[in-house]
Amino acid sequence: MKKHPDRKATKAVVFIFTIMMFFLFSQTLWAAPKLAQSKAKGKDCAACHVKAKMLPDNHADTKAMNWEACKTCHTKDKLSLIGKLPGSHHHQLVEVNCVKCHGKTKKPEALTMEQCVACHGSTAKLAEKTKDIKPSNPHTSPHYGTELDCNLCHHQHTKSENYCTQCHKFDFKVP
Amino acid sequence: MKKDDTKEKTLSRRNFLKTTGAAAVAAMAVGNLGMPAKYAQAAGDALPKKWDETYDVVVIGSGFAGLAAAIEAKNAGASVAIIEKMPTHGGNSIINGGDFCAPGTKLQQENGIPDSPELMLKDMLRAGLYLNHPENAKIVAYGAKDALEWTESYLGVKYVKIGFHGGHSVKRAHGMLNQTGAELVNKELAKVKELGIKIQLRTKLVKFISNKDGRIIGIEVRKDYKFPDEKSGKTAFLKAKRAIVLGSGGFSQDIKLRQIQDPRLTDKFGSTNQPGATGEALLAACIAGAMDVQMDWIQLGPWTSPDEKGFGFVPLFCEPLVGNGLMINPKTGKRFFKETGNRKERADAIILMGNPAIIMGDSYAVNKNVVPHAVQKGMEIGAIKKFDTLEDLAKNYDIPLDVFLKEIARWNSFVEKKKDDDFDCMIFKDTRPTATAPFYAARLWPKVHHTMGGLVIDKNAQVMGFDFKPVKGLFAAGEVSGGVHGAVRLGGVAIADCLVFGRVAGKSAAAEKPWG
Ligand SMILES: Cc1cc2nc3c(=O)[nH]c(=O)nc-3n(C[C@H](O)[C@H](O)[C@H](O)COP(=O)(O)OP(=O)(O)OC[C@H]3O[C@@H](n4cnc5c(N)ncnc54)[C@H](O)[C@@H]3O)c2cc1C
Repeated sequence: MKKHPDRKATKAVVFIFTIMMFFLFSQTLWAAPKLAQSKAKGKDCAACHVKAKMLPDNHADTKAMNWEACKTCHTKDKLSLIGKLPGSHHHQLVEVNCVKCHGKTKKPEALTMEQCVACHGSTAKLAEKTKDIKPSNPHTSPHYGTELDCNLCHHQHTKSENYCTQCHKFDFKVP
Repeated sequence: MKKDDTKEKTLSRRNFLKTTGAAAVAAMAVGNLGMPAKYAQAAGDALPKKWDETYDVVVIGSGFAGLAAAIEAKNAGASVAIIEKMPTHGGNSIINGGDFCAPGTKLQQENGIPDSPELMLKDMLRAGLYLNHPENAKIVAYGAKDALEWTESYLGVKYVKIGFHGGHSVKRAHGMLNQTGAELVNKELAKVKELGIKIQLRTKLVKFISNKDGRIIGIEVRKDYKFPDEKSGKTAFLKAKRAIVLGSGGFSQDIKLRQIQDPRLTDKFGSTNQPGATGEALLAACIAGAMDVQMDWIQLGPWTSPDEKGFGFVPLFCEPLVGNGLMINPKTGKRFFKETGNRKERADAIILMGNPAIIMGDSYAVNKNVVPHAVQKGMEIGAIKKFDTLEDLAKNYDIPLDVFLKEIARWNSFVEKKKDDDFDCMIFKDTRPTATAPFYAARLWPKVHHTMGGLVIDKNAQVMGFDFKPVKGLFAAGEVSGGVHGAVRLGGVAIADCLVFGRVAGKSAAAEKPWG
């Protein structure tokens, strides 16, 4: 198996993901860049997106920022980033880079859910944290319990989706 | 024209179908044009250069039927793989309402309900308009109790309630814990894992591969398939030394195929089914020589609501209420049909009416019969509503009040004497007049729910071909098969069908002589 990210970063990610569940999801920045993987850094947009402009003109320079720095402006209620950044970018901003999930490889492969759980903790605990979300706890269901694959909703390299909506009218904002 | 003639004769059924496309397959299959046997004979496929994986038995579909088959095949000594095209297991079975009809069980006895397999069979045949293949229907009616006990003793499934479904003579629906088929599917899955059987998700059956005798010897699949992207995934070949069990479910979500069978069922009708309930696996079997039957008997659920998505909560509210409360046409304020009638009768009556019906019950009926969870969730979504008075209820749905109140009084008089003079609705021993506030109500509009038709199977779940001979190496069970239910599948009998024939199919597949 591949290396696991270090535990501090892990905690930060768990924390972020939990609060993100409560935020609002508005417009997004999904533009599949030509991947210049070796240079991939969440904060340095141009490293991957090259010329495409990803941020508004008056946005502060992000190159030196980490996720904590983003949060000085982007709070829970104001300018929330929830759903605006692909999951992989969040990971990058808390120093969880490509290698930390995919290992050192030229051909990164899709991960299994064990990889998520290794850092983020058990899905049962997650379900406990999100138990008050309306209209229904997104992390447990009468069908699959807490066993559904994270990646059915929380994609890292493409826009996340709400798997429940194929049958239900659950209006979740999916980070 | 001589030349064309000879050409036509050498055109195998397989090639013919390939060139004319799936719609034609379906159309022809339905019409059952009586293909001469020599055309029905599968011509044999070009064999794959290499089989990627080999098993004794390959099961397609991870619902009730497929999982039951896998368990039995494994326990009979076969090596088994299960493939499933969706990213999650369980198909329609995991969103199912968890009612399992079986006659003469302990739970019925405890509740003082006399019942017998004869009576269940009689109910199935009457509802099925006697189009049921009687031998198969009988196997289900007579095997249901044993199958139910197997799920209890071998899988550990819990049944907590005995309920009624329209069209049955008695209460024989054994309600699973939490009112969901997930209770059964997940316990089947746990057993599957315990037995060491692997289930391959996102793996779609594309085609059956037969040898030159027409025997099915394996399948072509797409691995890493991302429903519904037909271009996704990679081709692989799975060899089945003994047999394939097809448990791919029904095609209620297949708008193209269902419209060929029943042109009324356009995209204007929603469905209660999971999005992957499509017919390509069934059609692939037909292309490989399997015969289909009664494909145009497609069932609409009369208890679904236009005010929520999919199956939702209203069916769980409506079904326990029939016979305890009444169904009203809001335009007239009157009842219009026997509430305890079967699904087809009721759905047809609502469609004919042309507007949604109202199902309603008072607090006594609702509290006694409906699980609180269903009422609460249905109310949160807004599909079920609560009213302090009958006047409020009438106002909300624009029901002419005078007629409505008279109709309630009339119904209540039927309840008192336990006989409905208007529509002969069943009235239960514990039914009380609709009088105790608050009152609960929901709108009803049918959705596509079940496809009775499918592949022809014999008593061993062996799939039959257009030449009336077995399609060697192919077994089928569950909703993909046809014949058990005839024109109408009664509530709670699908699970019985899936479990009884799923287990039969697994045993048969494991007992098949290996071809290589
Ligand atoms: C909402 C709902 C509630 C219901 N409630 C009840 C009830 O209470 N009692 C009752 O008796 N019946 C009920 N039914 C009916 C019953 O659930 C179904 O008939 C039954 O689940 C069918 O089981 P199955 O194993 O045949 O198919 P399914 O459970 O549908 O499984 C078939 C599987 O095969 C997969 N598949 C299809 N094509 C392919 C392919 N090409 N390659 C690979 N995999 C494929 C599908 O994705 C699916 O997962 C209900 C149905 C629904 C929709």
